[in-house]
Amino acid sequence: MKMIRAVLRPETAEGVAEALANAGFVSMTQVHVFGRGKQKGIIVGTVRYEELPKTMILMVVDDKSVDDVIDLIKDRAYTGNFGDGKIFVSPVEAAYTVRTGAKGL
Amino acid sequence: MKEIIAIIRPKKVGPTRNALEQLGFPSMTATAVTGRGLQRGIAGEVNMDCPPELLAPNKPGGMKYIPKRLLSIVVQSSDVETVVKTIIEVNQTGQIGDGKIFICPLDNAVRVRTDERGESAVL
Repeated sequence: MKMIRAVLRPETAEGVAEALANAGFVSMTQVHVFGRGKQKGIIVGTVRYEELPKTMILMVVDDKSVDDVIDLIKDRAYTGNFGDGKIFVSPVEAAYTVRTGAKGL
Repeated sequence: MKEIIAIIRPKKVGPTRNALEQLGFPSMTATAVTGRGLQRGIAGEVNMDCPPELLAPNKPGGMKYIPKRLLSIVVQSSDVETVVKTIIEVNQTGQIGDGKIFICPLDNAVRVRTDERGESAVL
């Protein structure tokens, strides 16, 4: 299992979630976060915004679905400008469902 | 060291915290998050009674994302089983939406105050 954390533009996150749900990856967690990238925020006029609002989508999927999910996110979150976001993939050793206590997704 | 990420009901945070404290795991990080599971949020549950012509056509009612708390707890590898068992015991209501628990490996930890590294940086 892998945990996929995608930090995206808030306005694209809804479309990404919809596309993922249509492809069968319904379960997800959304966190509203603030962050910046290599460009150190943006400069609008004379004001520098150091931290920009982003939406982090967090989901755990099977190893074989990772590439599909990444492709879907890339497809829907792409605008071509700086600030489209990043996707991080990290290992997950086990998952439990609290309601049943069963192991697995 | 393992990181236990538990996504649970907001009102169960207190009982979970108390139960873990009793066992000697007082430290945790909690984040307010929203999410949904295989049931695609809550369909129709928070709808009011109103004439159908007032509703947006072709739009499902209910909540798309449900408020949850994400707890992140870092423990020694040998304690994972105990903590998971406790979280499941406290949070189990038998209804859909009880949450999920994920166990993730962790390479290192640093205690900022003393610059301790590794296992001793975790409680």
